[in-house]
Amino acid sequence: MTQPLTDLGAVRADVARANGLPNAHYIDARVFEEEKQALLASQWAGLAVAADVPEPGDAKPLDFLGMPLLLIRDREGHVRVFQNICRHRGMILVDAPRKIEGAIRCPYHSWCYSTKGGLVATPHVGGPGRNTHENIDRADLGLLEVRSHVWRDIVWINLSGDAPPFEHAMAGLMARWRDFDLPVYHGGHDSRFTLEVATNWKLAVENYCESYHLPWVHPGLNSYSRLEDHYHIEAPGEYSGQGTMVYRQITNEHGETFPDFADVGAKWNEQAEYIAAYPNVLMGVHRDHAFVIILEPKGPERTVEHVHLYYAVPDSDDGLRMRNTQLWKSVFEEDIFVVEGMQRGRHASGFDGGRFSPVMDSPTHCFHAWVAGRIEAHRALHHDMRRAAE
Amino acid sequence: MSDLDTAMIHAHETGDRRALIGLCAEAADRMNEIDAACFFLTHAYVFALEAGASEAGVLHARLKAQGREA
Repeated sequence: MTQPLTDLGAVRADVARANGLPNAHYIDARVFEEEKQALLASQWAGLAVAADVPEPGDAKPLDFLGMPLLLIRDREGHVRVFQNICRHRGMILVDAPRKIEGAIRCPYHSWCYSTKGGLVATPHVGGPGRNTHENIDRADLGLLEVRSHVWRDIVWINLSGDAPPFEHAMAGLMARWRDFDLPVYHGGHDSRFTLEVATNWKLAVENYCESYHLPWVHPGLNSYSRLEDHYHIEAPGEYSGQGTMVYRQITNEHGETFPDFADVGAKWNEQAEYIAAYPNVLMGVHRDHAFVIILEPKGPERTVEHVHLYYAVPDSDDGLRMRNTQLWKSVFEEDIFVVEGMQRGRHASGFDGGRFSPVMDSPTHCFHAWVAGRIEAHRALHHDMRRAAE
Repeated sequence: MSDLDTAMIHAHETGDRRALIGLCAEAADRMNEIDAACFFLTHAYVFALEAGASEAGVLHARLKAQGREA
């Protein structure tokens, strides 16, 4: 029998006694490949935001876990995700963001697809000037669509195609944030930025989940939002994070604030929450704005963080928006040395995954336990499949 | 055809799909042989499809009438 790549027995223990994930989960290419399937492809993972393709026909090629994908808004305005390849010879269809005016034409032999993925033309497939052939059934040769769902403007995908429906998988978080089930408006070009970080994507989740580090790493935040003003958020198997009871709105030089999300409720006057929706989406909600960080795992030790900020109205104040972007950018940049430092630390062979503060680290442990559970389930499934094949 | 060939090559080089639709359709009209005509009609149709041009409907109908398109 093949031995599992790592022993996760200590990870799922109670937080008071558990160890964190072993080093291999941060530095080993084989474990990274295993996690691609167990934690990302089999789940509802964040890919992009719908604001990346604002108009019908807008198309943007993306690479996710090494797979070429195409994000597109079809003629009817629905966001779709396809594998970015022609069904003929596997050629990449779209190699740069652009507007699809009519059909997607493969640049190789010019097979054409509608923005809904249907194969609509197969030029010369039956010989010169003969565009049909009895063995080429266009109905069976549409673009390979990836299961996707848009919630809070985030485009979530399930590459394996067999995860529970999105509304079931995210039911807990959707219910928790029902107050915020309101239209969100991307702030535009000044409200998006990316951070390239030399870390495993999970360390970005772990750091985001907990408030323990705030007074040390973000002293600016701590000046008004103290550690004791925070609370843990834990939904085992789904999400974890932290909340604060003292959110203070940003103002400009005239004392003006962003307009609130209408009807969001008095509960949120001074409360805000920051939640990691497993596996790779970090979200924050406030009475007047929201943000999302989509973690793009590029390798065991490399992650790109795609940050987007959202508002309650489509025409929020430019100056306030830029100030807010700069504020959050500086906060997220303050975290970089931490996640990169922990990544380097994972090369210390004596590190056993670490111990958690039983009081302060439970949201992080909640994530580790989810990771361990998903990987063990994945390993068990593959073990059973191997046995069945033998 | 040389003038038309030159124009088509130029349109290809500059990515001028609008011009390609007309030039390929014109080349099809100049052909005396049905396969050659349908070859150029196919190109005109594909470029029209790609551009979302209104000509796509007529070009499709011409190809379909010749049994060359679904």
